[in-house]
Amino acid sequence: MNVLWAILGGLANVGVILLAAPLAQGLLRKITARIQSRQGPPLLQPYFDLLKLLGKEDIESGECPSMQRFAAYLALAVVLTLACLLPMGFSAPFGSAGDVIVLVYLLTVSGICTLLAGLAAGSTYSLLGISREMMTMITLEPLFAIALIVGAVHTNSLRLDTVLNGSVYGAAGIPWSGVIMLGVMSLSFQAFVQRVPFDISEAETELMEGPLAEYSGPKLALFKYAQMAKLIIYSALFVALFAPWGASLMFPIGWLLFWIKVFALVLLVTLIAATHARYRIDQAIRFFASLVGVSVVALILASYGY
Amino acid sequence: MSLLSKLEETMLCLKAGRVTLPYPARPALAPEQFRGRPIFDASKCIGCAGCANNCPAREILVFDVCQEIRILKYLGRRCTYCGRCAEVCPEKAITMSRDFETATNHNGDLGQRLELFMSTCQRCGRCFKPASALEELKMKGYRFDDLQNERWIFRAQARLEGDPVVDDIAIELD
Amino acid sequence: MLKNLCQKMFGRSLWVYHANSGGCNGCDIEVLNALTPYYDAERFGIKLVGSPRHADVMLCQGPAMRSTAQALKRAYEAMPAPKLVFAIGSCACGGGVWFDSYAVLGPVEKIIPVSYYVPGCPPRPEAIIYGVAVALGIVDKKIAPLEFKELELPIPRYHPDQLHGQGELVVYEKAEKL
Repeated sequence: MNVLWAILGGLANVGVILLAAPLAQGLLRKITARIQSRQGPPLLQPYFDLLKLLGKEDIESGECPSMQRFAAYLALAVVLTLACLLPMGFSAPFGSAGDVIVLVYLLTVSGICTLLAGLAAGSTYSLLGISREMMTMITLEPLFAIALIVGAVHTNSLRLDTVLNGSVYGAAGIPWSGVIMLGVMSLSFQAFVQRVPFDISEAETELMEGPLAEYSGPKLALFKYAQMAKLIIYSALFVALFAPWGASLMFPIGWLLFWIKVFALVLLVTLIAATHARYRIDQAIRFFASLVGVSVVALILASYGY
Repeated sequence: MSLLSKLEETMLCLKAGRVTLPYPARPALAPEQFRGRPIFDASKCIGCAGCANNCPAREILVFDVCQEIRILKYLGRRCTYCGRCAEVCPEKAITMSRDFETATNHNGDLGQRLELFMSTCQRCGRCFKPASALEELKMKGYRFDDLQNERWIFRAQARLEGDPVVDDIAIELD
Repeated sequence: MLKNLCQKMFGRSLWVYHANSGGCNGCDIEVLNALTPYYDAERFGIKLVGSPRHADVMLCQGPAMRSTAQALKRAYEAMPAPKLVFAIGSCACGGGVWFDSYAVLGPVEKIIPVSYYVPGCPPRPEAIIYGVAVALGIVDKKIAPLEFKELELPIPRYHPDQLHGQGELVVYEKAEKL
């Protein structure tokens, strides 16, 4: 019975992510357009984009087509697996199937998919794109890992449902480490969801083609879907980790509250994305490195109980 | 990178509202002196082929079927809408309209073809010798260079008593 | 059924790749103008992409030059079907004023098949959006070839084909009564 509920919950989560991700992207594009004083695409535009991409011819080019296929499937698969592990308004369906370490590794694998894609393509532009992505990942993934570990240290357990419940704030007094981690994560959130000012590697189709240069048609649709879903997944993680208040309410209200929080976060991401310019890679690395320093301080404070 | 300046920027942009022109829904009119597609008016055309000689893209082709029939064909593909044909036409048969909505899926749609009847000279048929290039270079009219100060003076209109020289080379267009 | 839906969605979201093969950049600027807030092309779902493999439509401008002909052909072949090619500006439609230059091969259609022509030098951004709207079927094509023929000639005309010589006599076959 438990297994059945878990499977149904997992499927429900996956379905919600698949339906809501393009809507969040559409909202983002529309609000960006309004900030730029223009009309902008219709709200359902990303659905049209994905459907159109599915209908195009699939040209297999690049150095290693089988690796390209693998990278495309892996990208979407990892993101949908993450969806099963997250509490989205109700407790995570597969919450007991993994712990914090699995979450961190899955997040890293979704970044590695881009690297595989760029390597499989093998063109100069994609190699340059993935070198930037590698540099970004090295300094960026530790931030999220440290946030989760701070939560784990406070609650003395690595289980997902205890950690992803606002555990960063700890129990007693002023939650120094929690507040510091909240600041750090807010500053670097844009980079996790690959939006301006930090979309250096992937969405950089304006400057260079980037790692996705050799993809066309359906595989590109998979990658774009994965990118859109990452926005929702990371917002859900952020909400679960840092703003989980009200998640234990009754089913409709808690669920709605969760989605309101997620869309508020998407709105914040949009506002920041519409008013900033893209950072250079060295500026971004310096920024993240300083944030890693600050978050290590937070980890030390957490291990002392603050 | 302060937060306040970004908020101010957002507020400014939002205050501008939505500036997009609803173009295909509402027709847009080009400004007054806009040079759009040239329209050849066959009732005024005398078939002198001045436009064809002047076109920088060699876009207007002339073909004489016989002495009385001359075909002028404007291809429209390479036309840069410079307006030289309209400027040179002695009968003002070419007007640069304000039409810019000329997108098409077939190149031949842009062409205009005129088949004209040319009158013949009663005595000898059609005899007409245009000025040679050297003749065109000749400056016609009165000349009054400044002999004392040894300077050239160009005038577009011939005038014996002219205005005093303003500069070294005074080029005046009428 | 899904295939039908995907094909119908083609017109709703066109991804555009801009290829300039030797033009003067005037049409470049007008194309970029069409993407600015004033003439916003994004409301039709049009997005500028950086790689021909992602694109549906290639906006070509500039004549086909000898040096870039190979690159243009490769960019065209890199686009996945179904694809459209727009030739923007007089240079791409017919070669422009440089049609007989030593470095110019001719209009873009000498190298790749063109679907829609947007003439102009440079075409206004509204003209480019009009071209896109014609391609999407939102508006009708407005231009058609004009032809004028003098039907009533004031004097009888002698077409060279209808004149025959018999010795010193030139006979006109179809002499009309004056």
